[in-house]
Amino acid sequence: MSASTAPARRAITPPKRPLPSWRLPVGLAAVVAITVWAGISIEFTLTPLITDIGRGEPVVRGFLDPNWLFIFRVWDAWLETIAIAIIASLVGNAIALVLAFLASPVTNPITPFQKTMKAVMAVVRSLPDVAYGLIFVAAVGVGSLAGILALIMFNIGVCAKLTAETIDAVDPGPIEAADASGASLARRARFAVLPQALPGYLSYSLYVFELNLRASVVLGFVGAGGIGSTIRVELSRFSYENLSAIIIALFVIVFALDAFSRWLRKKLI
Amino acid sequence: MSTITPPRAPGRSFTPPPAPSKLRETIGMLAVTLVFALAVVLADANWPRLLEAPAVLGEFVVLMTQGVLQNPLEAPTNEYWTRSLELMIESLHIAWIGTLIGAILSFPLGFLAARNVAPPGVVVVVRQILNAIRAIPEIIFAIAIMLPIFGLGPLAGALAIGVNSVGTLGKLTSEAIESIDTGPVESARASGASRWQVIRYAMVPQVMPEVVAYWLYRFEINIRASAILGVLGAGGIGSILSALFNIRAWDRIGVTLAVIIIVTLIIDAISGSIRHRIIHGAAPRGVRRRRALTPEPPPV
Amino acid sequence: MIEFRSVTVTYPDGTVGLDDITLDIPAGQFVVVVGLSGAGKSTLIRSVNGLVPVTNGELVVDGSAVHGAKGRALRRLRARVGMIFQSFNLVKRSSVLTNVLVGRLHATGFLRSMLGWFRASDKQLAFEALDRVGILEKAYNRASALSGGQQQRVAIARVLAQQPSVILADEPVASLDPPTAHMVMRDLQRINRELGITTIVNLHFLDLAREFGDRIIGMRDGKVVFDGSGVQADDAVFERIYGRSLTNEDVLGADDVEAAPVSLTSDPDAAAR
Ligand SMILES: Nc1ncnc2c1ncn2[C@@H]1O[C@H](COP(=O)(O)OP(=O)(O)OP(=O)(O)O)[C@@H](O)[C@H]1O
Ligand SMILES: [Mg+2]
Repeated sequence: MSASTAPARRAITPPKRPLPSWRLPVGLAAVVAITVWAGISIEFTLTPLITDIGRGEPVVRGFLDPNWLFIFRVWDAWLETIAIAIIASLVGNAIALVLAFLASPVTNPITPFQKTMKAVMAVVRSLPDVAYGLIFVAAVGVGSLAGILALIMFNIGVCAKLTAETIDAVDPGPIEAADASGASLARRARFAVLPQALPGYLSYSLYVFELNLRASVVLGFVGAGGIGSTIRVELSRFSYENLSAIIIALFVIVFALDAFSRWLRKKLI
Repeated sequence: MSTITPPRAPGRSFTPPPAPSKLRETIGMLAVTLVFALAVVLADANWPRLLEAPAVLGEFVVLMTQGVLQNPLEAPTNEYWTRSLELMIESLHIAWIGTLIGAILSFPLGFLAARNVAPPGVVVVVRQILNAIRAIPEIIFAIAIMLPIFGLGPLAGALAIGVNSVGTLGKLTSEAIESIDTGPVESARASGASRWQVIRYAMVPQVMPEVVAYWLYRFEINIRASAILGVLGAGGIGSILSALFNIRAWDRIGVTLAVIIIVTLIIDAISGSIRHRIIHGAAPRGVRRRRALTPEPPPV
Repeated sequence: MIEFRSVTVTYPDGTVGLDDITLDIPAGQFVVVVGLSGAGKSTLIRSVNGLVPVTNGELVVDGSAVHGAKGRALRRLRARVGMIFQSFNLVKRSSVLTNVLVGRLHATGFLRSMLGWFRASDKQLAFEALDRVGILEKAYNRASALSGGQQQRVAIARVLAQQPSVILADEPVASLDPPTAHMVMRDLQRINRELGITTIVNLHFLDLAREFGDRIIGMRDGKVVFDGSGVQADDAVFERIYGRSLTNEDVLGADDVEAAPVSLTSDPDAAAR
C-alpha cells in the first residue's frame, strides 16, 4: 500500500548543487584560526582541572564554612556599596537621557552635532569600568567618590546607547503630528518622543542599577570604595570563610534587587 | 465614581473633568529624592574633592594627550604603542576564548532552560543555575575558583569569563528558543521525527542566527571584562593599566587608553555589522527580508 | 485503511473535539471534510496521526492502533501518515531540499541525521518528490524565497518523500489565492490517483469540496452529520451541515486557469498574476 508501489517514473536529473557561498567556509576558517591563535597565546589547557584540582581544596573548604558574622561586621561597606550604586545610577542615567536625545537624529536635527555626540558616546562606552576607576582614584583619591564618578561614566555608556537606539526607533506618527501643529524642537522631544522612549529608558535605568552593584565590586579592587575593597583585603589574607560569607550575601542582595526592580518595572511601565 | 454630570446645554460654560491625581508621582519623586539624599550621606564620599576634580582631570587629559601626540615612531613612544597593542591583543584572546567557552556551555543549557524543549522540573533548575551565575561578578569567579586552580594568568581570566558568560547566553538562548515558530516543529513531529531530530531540523535552524548574534554581542562585553580581570593579574591590557597608574606615567596611560578605545571601537563596529548581517540578511537586492528591528539584548 | 470506532476526543480543558465518531475510510479514497469553524475538522485529522490523543474509542490506521500509541510506536505510525498544514510549516531559513528531507528523518539514524549526511537514496527520493510537484529546480533555494503556492508544494514533496500510505491535509489551500488553490488541490488529487495514497483534506469551500472529493464528510459540533459522495452533496446538504443558508464566502470562486492547458511544472503564481 505504500508509495513505492507507484508506477515507475521517468528518470530525473537532480539540479546541480550550487556552489555554497564563500562566506560560511571563510567565516568558519577565520573562527578556527583565531581560536587556535588565541588558545596558543593564552596557553589554553584544562589539565590543571585534573592535576591541580587539589589546590582548590582549601578554597572550597573555606567556602563551605562561611563566617556569617562577617557579613554584619562590614555593614558599613555594604551601605557604602549600595549608596554608591544609587547615586551613580541616578546621576548617570539622568545625564544619559540628555545625551541620548542629543545623539539621536530624531531629536537632534543638527547633523554634525548629533554625529559628534554619537561618537562621544561610543568612546565613553569603549573604556572598561576599571579604567574609569583608576582615573578617578588618581584624580580624587582612594574612596567612594572615585567609585561614584567611575560608575557614572560606565552608566552613561550603557544607558545612553540603549536609550538613543530606542529613540531612533520611535513611531514617527506623533512626531509628525507635533511638527504639523508647529511645536518647537524641545516640545516635540518632550511631548512626542519622551513618552514613547520612557518605558525603555526606565527599564534600562533599573537594569543599570543592577549592573552597578556588581561593577562596584570590581571598582573596590582599584581603591574605589565599597564592598570590593573589603573583598580585596580578605582575599589578600586568604580568609575564604569571610569571602564566602560576603559572596553569599552579595548573591542574596543581587537576587533581592532583581526581584525588586522587576516589581518596580511592572509598576512603572 | 458616583457623580454623573448632567448633559450640558450648548453654549453653557462647563467644568473640565478633574485632572487625575498627581499624588502618586509626587510621592514617587519625594521618595527618590529622599533615597538620593540618604545615599549622599551614607556613601562616605569625600565630596569637597569633587570641586578640585575638574582641574585635576584637565591636567591629566593634557598629559595623556601629550603622550598620544608624541611621534609614535620614535623611542620610547613606539615601544608604548606596540606593548599596549600586544597586551590589548592578549585581552582580545582572553575574551575570545572566554566567549567560546560560554557559547559551547550555554547552547545545550539554553535548550534545557526552554519550556518548549525540556520538562518543567529541568527548566526550573537550569534557570536558577543560570540566574545564579548571572548574579556573581566574573571577578569573583576568577579569584574564588579559577586562580587557585589555574594560577594567575590569562587562562584563569578566560575561564572565569567563559563561565560567567554562560548565565546570560543561556538565558538569551532559551528565550530565543521559546519564541520560535512552532509550525515546523509540529510538521517534523508529524512526519515521525524523533525528539533530537526535531531539535536539529526544526529548532536549531530557526534560532541559530539570533544565538550567534548573542555570542558576538557577548564578545564585545567580554573584551571589557577581560580588561577588568587584568587588574587582578590575569593578563591582558588591564595588568599594565594598573601598573602604569601606580607610577602615574600619564603619557603612557594616554597611549594605552587610546589603544583600548581604538581597538574596542573597531571590534564593536565589525561585530555589529556581522550581527546586523546575520539577523537581517544580506544587503537589499529586492529579496524579501525580515522587516522587524531586532532589539539588542541587554548588555549583561 | 482508517477506522474510527466510537472515537471521542476531549481536550484537557473539557472541550469535546470529536463526539463518538465511527467511520471507515477505505484505501485510496480521496475524502474531503467540511464543516463550520470549530466543528472538529482539524481534530478529526489530527487524531489520525496522534497529534491529538484519542480519549475514548479505537482508531486504527493501516493496521496499527493510534489510540494509546506512544514513543517509538507512535513515531513509526506517523512516518506512514504524511501531513500538510495551512501555513506550510516549513523551516524558512533552510533550503527546500532540507525541508523535503525532513520527511526522510524517520528512516535516518541518529548520527546521520545529526550530521546531516542523508543517504543518496533518500536524496533521490526527495528529488523525485520535488519533481512530482514541479519545483525540482528550486531544490537549493531557501524556502523563504518561494511563493506561497510553491511553499505548499514543498510541503507536499516533504510528505511524498515520507512514502506514506495516508496523507492528511488541514486546510491546505486556505492561505492561497483561488487559481493557486486549484493547482495545489489538483496536485493532491493526482498524487492520490497515481500513487493510490489515501487522502483526507479539510476544506472550507464547497466548490472545491465537490470538485475533488470522492467522498464528503460533513461535521458539526464534533459529530458526522453527512457522509456521501460529491454528487449527493448539493446545496441543501451543505445548508444542513452549516445550519444556515450558503453565502458567497462558502465558495472559492472561478477557477480561471481551468480552461487553459496547464502543465504542472509551470509556475502557478505566474499564472495567478
Ligand atoms: N488545543 C485545544 N484545546 C482545547 N480545545 C480545543 C483545542 N483545539 C481545538 N479545540 C476546540 O475543539 C473544537 C473543535 O476544534 P477544531 O480545531 O477541530 O475545529 P475546526 O473544524 O478545525 O475549525 P476551523 O475551521 O476553525 O479550523 C472547538 O470547539 C475548539 O475550540
Ligand atoms: Mg481547523
